[in-house]
Amino acid sequence: MLSLTHVHMRFGDVVAVDDLSLEVRAGEILGLLGPNGAGKTTTVSLAVGLLAPDAGEVTLANLGSPRLPGVRRRLGLAPQALALYELLSPEENLRFFGRIQGLSGRALSVRVAWALEFASLTERRRDPTRILSGGMQRRLNLAAALVHDPELVILDEPTVGVDPQSRNAILDRILELRGRGRTVVYTTHYMEEAARICDRVAIIDHGRLLALGTVEELIGRYGGEPALVARVDGTERRLNTREPAAALARFAAEGRVDDFRVERADLEGVFLQLTGRRLRD
Amino acid sequence: MSARTDTGAVVALARKDLQLLLRNRGALFFAIAWPVLVAVFFGSVFGGLGPRGQIPIALVDEDGTPASGKLVERLRTTKGIELSVAPLEEAERLVRQGKRAVAVIVPRGYGEASGRLFHGAPARLTLAIDPSRTAEAAMAEGILTGAAMQGVQEALTDPVTSRAMVDRSLADLETAPPGADRDAATRFLGELRTFVGRPSVTSGSAPGASPAWQQVAIERRALAATGEKPRNAFDVTFPQGILWGVIGSALGFALSLVTERTRGTLSRLQTAPIARGHVLAGKALACFVTILAVEGLLFALGRLAFGVRPSSWGLLIAAGFSVAVCFVGIMMVVAVLGQTEQSAGGLGWAVMLPLTMVGGGMVPLFAMPAWMQVVGTVSPVHWGILALEGAIWRGFGPAELALPCGVLMAIGVLGLVAGARLFARE
Repeated sequence: MLSLTHVHMRFGDVVAVDDLSLEVRAGEILGLLGPNGAGKTTTVSLAVGLLAPDAGEVTLANLGSPRLPGVRRRLGLAPQALALYELLSPEENLRFFGRIQGLSGRALSVRVAWALEFASLTERRRDPTRILSGGMQRRLNLAAALVHDPELVILDEPTVGVDPQSRNAILDRILELRGRGRTVVYTTHYMEEAARICDRVAIIDHGRLLALGTVEELIGRYGGEPALVARVDGTERRLNTREPAAALARFAAEGRVDDFRVERADLEGVFLQLTGRRLRD
Repeated sequence: MSARTDTGAVVALARKDLQLLLRNRGALFFAIAWPVLVAVFFGSVFGGLGPRGQIPIALVDEDGTPASGKLVERLRTTKGIELSVAPLEEAERLVRQGKRAVAVIVPRGYGEASGRLFHGAPARLTLAIDPSRTAEAAMAEGILTGAAMQGVQEALTDPVTSRAMVDRSLADLETAPPGADRDAATRFLGELRTFVGRPSVTSGSAPGASPAWQQVAIERRALAATGEKPRNAFDVTFPQGILWGVIGSALGFALSLVTERTRGTLSRLQTAPIARGHVLAGKALACFVTILAVEGLLFALGRLAFGVRPSSWGLLIAAGFSVAVCFVGIMMVVAVLGQTEQSAGGLGWAVMLPLTMVGGGMVPLFAMPAWMQVVGTVSPVHWGILALEGAIWRGFGPAELALPCGVLMAIGVLGLVAGARLFARE
């Protein structure tokens, strides 16, 4: 669906994207995971044609560069900022974005109604956008990227600054999109979100792709062994092992086990392993 | 995209901007309300709000004689004043409140005094004036003197009235103390009586039917509307107000493009299947429509409420169109150069305010010193005001209007091209 091949991008002396190659498969949710400043937003800008790479190639749906207007019809972007007109209502915002995507007449009305329903804003469709809650505005920001029913949806940190309830609602809707056969590129620095909804995750730092695979694959490859943590005769002991039950039996043979737990590796651990720092550093 | 879809996208973009403008009270204020305030305030200061060109006068007739009645009737038909008769207290109150420039009091004895010839106390009129309106009071005094003299003139040219006046004066002289003055006056009035008592040589008809003699006859002739003078102060202040509205609209749209950039909506637009030029074209179209609407609204207000009217509708439309093109071009450059709302707003006003000042947006062009009029030619505001004034009161023909309109169009086209190139380079 989307391929970036040896893409390079720099702003002055700063290398924002460094020889990045990535293939996004049709129908998957691909997470771009990395800390702030890792190059996620620049990668998104290259993917949607807002920026032209200094070197390398970006191709959408085998049609060509997304910098070509005809190719861009296939994608929808929900920018990190709330890219909405606050003085217009949700319905007016969606109608406008639908029109500039080439929709008109009944097709436009149908898609606007669908997008309002998707964002759970049908009842608030005529209120000025500026009086909606932060969560509602986030959902509208997402709906505006979908009003023309694109095949590829690119979501740049769509849950920034929203409460847990709205975050869950947004994640549920992204999963719903995958259920409808859409391809989603999802940037975040929240590993729990990536683990929850992404089919594959690309870990990026300093503009470079460090790892790519399913969450299980990445944890298996970079997360290390699970750790058994037990309190034996009042002392906490820790042992990395792929057979925690056997290790627990050994601890029990050595003394009285008051408490124990098994710590599995997660994406945070993967990132730590790959970069030597935590995601939110 | 097809040409039809391209047009649809540009229209959608323009329509969105117009929707946003209509919901933005601040932008509407600077586009419409502020220019109206400028035009009406300065027009009122320079020209007054009363009937155009008329001095408001309150008249108190304390005499109540046929002579004072004739004076009142004469003043009622005198051009240049708006007369209202009132009791003394009411007339003084109106002057104190600024509703009348002058109160004219016709005291008791006016009729008696105005019936005497060449002797005795003169007929007196009292003026109660508003000290802040001395110019109007002086003009009112001149008009009153003229009206009073017209009464004397009518009396002297009517044989019956003039003979009665002479007879009465001769009778008064008989009771006066003897002396050289009395003798001279008696001789003069005797000769005058002989003169006014002779049959009329001009008509030979009934006494009083001869045409009134006048030392100087002043005629008024109305000039056609193409005279090269403003008909009133609003002819000058409305073109200024229109330019303020145009500048407010253009800078508002420049800011709106910057806001699109900072809020992220521009990114969304740029990922739509439209060219970058469409985004700019939509903004330019909305700005153009808004400027034409502001020009139309302000001119309609000036026309309906303040008597502003064009010497040629066609030339006025050409001037308005040229002004719109010019300021759309300026808007494009400011919009593209400004990276933040603050920088665009600062840049816009930092450039436009001095250009407005030297271009005649504050002081009328004709009232500027010659050197400033020359300096002002660098300002698009100068050419905009000149074009509008040319179509309203300067009596420009198409050939004369071609220069300001051509300059405005050239600035506009240059701005459009520069803005589009800079935007494409971003």
